[in-house]
Amino acid sequence: MKIVVLGAGQVGTTIVEALQSDHEITVVDLDAKRLQALSYRHDVHTVAGNGATRRILLEAGIDRASLMIACTSRDEINLVAAFLVKKISEAQTIVRTTNPEYIEAWQERDIEVDFMVSSELETAYAVSQTIGVPAAKQTDVFADGQVQIVEFDVPREGSADDLTGIPLTEAAEKAAGRVRGGGYDQVVGLPLKRATIPADSKVASIIRGERTLVPRGDESIMPGDRIVVIGSPDAAKEWGRIMARGTQRVDDVVIFGAGGTGLAIARVLLEQGIRVRLIEYDEERAREVADELPGARVYAATGVDPDFLERERIGHASAAVFAMRADSKNLYAAMLAKVHGIGFTIGIVHDDISIEVFERAGIDVAVNPRSVTAEEIVRFAHDPRVRQLAMLEGDRFEILDITVRDSSKLVRRPFKELPMTGSLIGAIVRDGEVIFPHGDSQLEPGDRAIIFTESSRVPEVEKAL
Amino acid sequence: MTSPVGRLRRVVGVDVGAALNLVGALLKYFSLAFLFPIAIALGHAETPWPFVVGGAITAGVGLGLERFSHGKEHVGVREGFLVVSLTWLLAAGAVSLPYVLSGESQLDHPVDALFEAMSGMTTSGGSILTDFAAVDRSMMIWRQFSQWIGGMGIVVLALAVLPRLRVGGRQLMEHETPGPDLDPLTTSIRDTARRLWILYVSLTVVLALVLAAFGWTGVDERMGVYEAVSYAFSTLPTGGFAPDPRSVEPFAAASQWVIALFMVIGGINFALLFRAIVRRHPGSIFRDDELRLYLALLAVASAVVTVLIWDAGLQEGEAAVRHAVFQTVSIMTTTGFATTDYAVWQAVAPAAAMLLVALMFAGASAGSTSGSVKVARHLVIGRILRRELDQTVHPEYVAPIRLNRYPIDERMVSAVIAFVLLYIGIFVVGAVLLLLDAHRVSLELSPFEALAASASSLGNVGPAFGFAGPMGSFAPFSDVSKGIMIVLMWIGRLEIVPVAALLTRAYWRA
Repeated sequence: MKIVVLGAGQVGTTIVEALQSDHEITVVDLDAKRLQALSYRHDVHTVAGNGATRRILLEAGIDRASLMIACTSRDEINLVAAFLVKKISEAQTIVRTTNPEYIEAWQERDIEVDFMVSSELETAYAVSQTIGVPAAKQTDVFADGQVQIVEFDVPREGSADDLTGIPLTEAAEKAAGRVRGGGYDQVVGLPLKRATIPADSKVASIIRGERTLVPRGDESIMPGDRIVVIGSPDAAKEWGRIMARGTQRVDDVVIFGAGGTGLAIARVLLEQGIRVRLIEYDEERAREVADELPGARVYAATGVDPDFLERERIGHASAAVFAMRADSKNLYAAMLAKVHGIGFTIGIVHDDISIEVFERAGIDVAVNPRSVTAEEIVRFAHDPRVRQLAMLEGDRFEILDITVRDSSKLVRRPFKELPMTGSLIGAIVRDGEVIFPHGDSQLEPGDRAIIFTESSRVPEVEKAL
Repeated sequence: MTSPVGRLRRVVGVDVGAALNLVGALLKYFSLAFLFPIAIALGHAETPWPFVVGGAITAGVGLGLERFSHGKEHVGVREGFLVVSLTWLLAAGAVSLPYVLSGESQLDHPVDALFEAMSGMTTSGGSILTDFAAVDRSMMIWRQFSQWIGGMGIVVLALAVLPRLRVGGRQLMEHETPGPDLDPLTTSIRDTARRLWILYVSLTVVLALVLAAFGWTGVDERMGVYEAVSYAFSTLPTGGFAPDPRSVEPFAAASQWVIALFMVIGGINFALLFRAIVRRHPGSIFRDDELRLYLALLAVASAVVTVLIWDAGLQEGEAAVRHAVFQTVSIMTTTGFATTDYAVWQAVAPAAAMLLVALMFAGASAGSTSGSVKVARHLVIGRILRRELDQTVHPEYVAPIRLNRYPIDERMVSAVIAFVLLYIGIFVVGAVLLLLDAHRVSLELSPFEALAASASSLGNVGPAFGFAGPMGSFAPFSDVSKGIMIVLMWIGRLEIVPVAALLTRAYWRA
């Protein structure tokens, strides 16, 4: 497949690295030196010039390309390029943006591009997943956050009385119409059909030692297992509560730096009902952010002033995110915050090497917005029909996001009649609404199905749908 | 050699000629208002001459001003202050002309006439009349009509003129609400003013019809068409003039409740009302911060007054509730009607009297026809105080002041503080001057009554306490005191700033 990439920055480079082996790639950038450096390292064709012009796009061979990825740091360049491509080529378009309003317009189909990614938003989701569900090991988000996939390590100590022996199907019926699940004891150790699992959620797989199971109703979650759950954000939170077993939920987060990323993180966390405090060095910007976010408390302060940290009891917060512009500042502020007693720290890094530095220094999680963005774009590029594709537990499991074809044999048949294939339909997105299916639910043509399956069965599933 | 006039022109930075030109034009149009009482006078076989002559003088002054100056299209932000202040002063003067010319002994003294006219135009409602029966019906209707025009005037001015003055009335009224859904009235200022006009006229007609219907059906035997129209004219502008010396007291309970309801309506932001009634978004109205506080304050104050007057043995049962609600609504919306002589509460239920004076500082909504400080400003002040306290503990805390969830500009915030400080300062000075003058002429005026008279005039409420109570008259005050109150009413109606700005050197400097 021929792919044109606009922008040879960090995001562009990461994308090139991921895709170059399987695809024919042309990179367009204004900066000829950057292009040169890139072409020495990777086997790509380069064009120097403004990607938002028809001449340069044609020079890059857009008329023969099947995908255009516009990932320069400037939104409007990316958009103009995408609009041009829509007219002069058949290629699909992916646009990177920093503006949540563009994303909104795209979701409502007012901006005609095939896929839109925002570094800020992706980073915010990544941070919120780590914060919102503290016990979660690895999480993924589908259908714009309405479907979450969360992985938990089931704590070992715990009486396994009530949960063993409840079949899955029964559990699902019990769970219907109820968001709250039972306590830890009503979930762990019981067969799933009798366990009180939160509504709108499914146990997608149980990983026990070397074995991975797509669980049937008579399977039980045992202490020490690692489980993968698919469900609504509420259900995911509920699972977090169950698995956290009384360890305090994160409900009070301090964000250092109120740039685009900090703002996006604050917004996502506020939506989850978490108390957010923002610390911003620049007074003008602090004021702007305070205007925009009625729910957050904004402070105009450096964040490295010990008096301030002490006076505002920053150490009492359950987590802190460091989203300032410079990695070195983030690192120092995070260390200082740790000194003041913050337990959980998340650093936003802009340089790949910083990830290692941060982790060595004891920052709990480091998130690189550009690689998060690149990953998101690569997922789409892999197969545009499979909108997002997550890999769990190495290569053994995959989560597929597939649009159901008219001709699929599985359409309009109740789920309980579908053949058991070792796969599980975790959620259906129909007209923008998410459905967490029960035994009587049916697939309709055009539905997006989020499917949990063993890697070896991916072709089989794709064919069936 | 430059002439003194030429030198003055270079020093003065305000285009006085242009301002006078516009004032003249406005006055010229204002003279059309005299046609209404002329028609009434002819209909009642009374003498129309005071109105004919008054109207002619007004038109003549207007035309003269227009003739001897030019350039009204050059009126800018600076000239606007002068235009507004002068127009209101001259309009009150015009309204007073028929009183002077009427030959009626209660009214024909120029100071008395100007007091009555200013009280009418500013929708205050304090009167120097004592013997209502001696005055012609056409003259009484002219009083009521002046209030109706005055109430209209403030809305139109606030919408059409004040925004160009950057006084903040518009900004406050629109609550800084961006977004298409929340700002439907502003396709253009002229259009907005016209829509509000229609709403105002419709509400007046509805009230007049309801009251008249009470009269026809025998619910209220004293309510004739003349009374219905008169009360409608002074209820919606939250004016307070009544054609009866006992205000609303003689009328049936049903009429009193209806008038109270329309006073409450007159105290609601008209833009909000327009949205609720015409655009059929009745629900949206109750999401408004100011309206909620306004109604809450009314409810709480009414409840307290009910308890106080019931406890004092003044009234009980439905009557206690009705009188408490009516008086509270009347004072807070700065109308000035009364269903009972609350001046006597001063002795029997002093706490209730004190509460009424305190309510004179509340006012109703911004963008309504009411006067005084207005609830929106109190809301902003409250939020400023809360932020201030927060920031003493958390010095780095940054937060905008919000109204209806939208942040308001910091300049606006300081304008609100400045307004309230000016308001209180002028109120105190006014009360002291009234006391001094009463002492000079040996008029018996207690400090409480002086405070009430000052607050009432500045807030355009109307009646005060003591002899100037709701059933009383301002006639006993000396001419100097009346002059002081004329000024208080004038600057209170214009929300102080346009007049106060004229007194600064910075205003006139080039």
